Amino acid sequence: MDIITEALAGPFQYSFMVRALIVASIVGVMCPVAGVYVVTRGLGFMSDGLAHSVLPGIVAAAIFGSAAASVFAGGIPMAIIMSLISGYLIKRVGVGEDASVGILFAALFAAGVIMISVATAQGISVQVQLEDMLLGNVLGVSRVEVFITLGVAAAVMLLLYGLHKELVFSNFDPTGAAVVGLPTEKLEYLLLALLAMVVVIALQAVGIILVISMLITPAASALQLTRSFTGAMLVAAIIGVASGISGLYLSYHFNLPSGPVMALVAFSFFILSIGWKQKAAGILIRQRA
Amino acid sequence: MTAKTSIPPLAAEDVTVEFGGTKILDNVTFSAGPGCIMGVVGPNGAGKSTLFNVITALMPATSGRILIHGKSMEQSRGTVAYVPQYERVNSRIPTSAWDVVMQGRVRHAGWFRRPRRADKAAAEEALNRVGMWDRRKSLIYELSGGQRQRIFVARALAQGADILLLDEAFSGVDIASQTALMDVLMELRDDGRTIMMSSHDINHMAHYCDECLCLNCNVCACGPPREVLNEEVMTQLYGPFGAVPFHGHGLAGDDDGHHH
Repeated sequence: MDIITEALAGPFQYSFMVRALIVASIVGVMCPVAGVYVVTRGLGFMSDGLAHSVLPGIVAAAIFGSAAASVFAGGIPMAIIMSLISGYLIKRVGVGEDASVGILFAALFAAGVIMISVATAQGISVQVQLEDMLLGNVLGVSRVEVFITLGVAAAVMLLLYGLHKELVFSNFDPTGAAVVGLPTEKLEYLLLALLAMVVVIALQAVGIILVISMLITPAASALQLTRSFTGAMLVAAIIGVASGISGLYLSYHFNLPSGPVMALVAFSFFILSIGWKQKAAGILIRQRA
Repeated sequence: MTAKTSIPPLAAEDVTVEFGGTKILDNVTFSAGPGCIMGVVGPNGAGKSTLFNVITALMPATSGRILIHGKSMEQSRGTVAYVPQYERVNSRIPTSAWDVVMQGRVRHAGWFRRPRRADKAAAEEALNRVGMWDRRKSLIYELSGGQRQRIFVARALAQGADILLLDEAFSGVDIASQTALMDVLMELRDDGRTIMMSSHDINHMAHYCDECLCLNCNVCACGPPREVLNEEVMTQLYGPFGAVPFHGHGLAGDDDGHHH
């Protein structure tokens, strides 16, 4: 019993672990909930693009402003700008959706990497480690960042909850929603802005490359298991929190990088969900036969 | 068209739509009265979908206007409902029949509000009306083509719309379901609603519509099918071979005496 208590509570004698646990749980809820929209709308590449394109914003904020909150100060505006420009390219210029995301994503990420290397060569201290940005470093999250994460997450959650029926309607049947008088274009931009905020929150925990794992994997697993959009959001959040927290424990006890462990735990949930669904389908077929 | 002194539920006045210098709709004028199923007939590229888009204010008219009960579309949101082609909805979003019908109540409930008892009652009534209450828990992709369209009609009813627009809403719907769907639509017509629909199936339109709007950029003819679906109009619509696939069931033939 003592071993179990020690294994569960042990990590949290360190305050950085407590902060990591809070952020991992928030990311574990927010990413999968927003992820249900991402999966059902096919916005996976867009989300990946958002994650990559925030880099120059974060680097600029780290150079010119406070390092403490640079992920948010630079990342959120950058992600929103990216989603607006890609919206413009798609709607007004007529560039294909994945092409315009690809163009912006590559250009902005490249700009970010060059900014880091130029600043380092000039001897300007950039408090941004490329590796942390790429793979996340939830153990290095500061107190201020925990509070900002909480605030941003609360705002996103409030909007997703409050505008649930409008967002689902306009994602399900944009034409029908527009005919009723819903501002479908504004709702679309709002969804992208919310997605941008969620992506930035998740950067701290899982990094640019693995954001997609927390956005897509729990949501896709949940969609295998449930028959409703809201149900999928709930199940996805449970899978996400379980992945986040168990990823944190595994990384602590086995000294593994936390972001990649969370991604792999989420993946194992996905495998389980497929197995579960196949089994349920098998039972149904046998009952019918 | 029946001479009514009252304001028609749906009217177009000299509607012209130009896109890149090309006229897609040219001076389209018509009106549809209450208790009327109006069919829009015309070849591909005749502007049928554009006409639906202008009526629903999804697309602006270059000139002319649409009047809904004598008012602009913006002033009369909610009275017009759109029944989509199923291929146009995102079926990856798990949506039950009940969810779809509740979408019709989205404006009644209001921003940031949960649906109230009145909204649920309206949805229940609408589902009963189209005979789909028993299937309310089914996901929309589990239903047949015709059942889906009945659900979308129920959404229009829950919305309280008295003008229903169905643009190619019969694509992928088999004959048996088509009949069930048309039975519902005819019942709604008898209640005084205005239904406007387009279809490639001329015989279907000739059979069910009270009025036919024959569209090929401009209005070639508008009136009861037996009067307007004659060889001359069909040639205007579809060219010299246009009349061939049309088995008029004697509809056009009835009119031969009045013809030159």
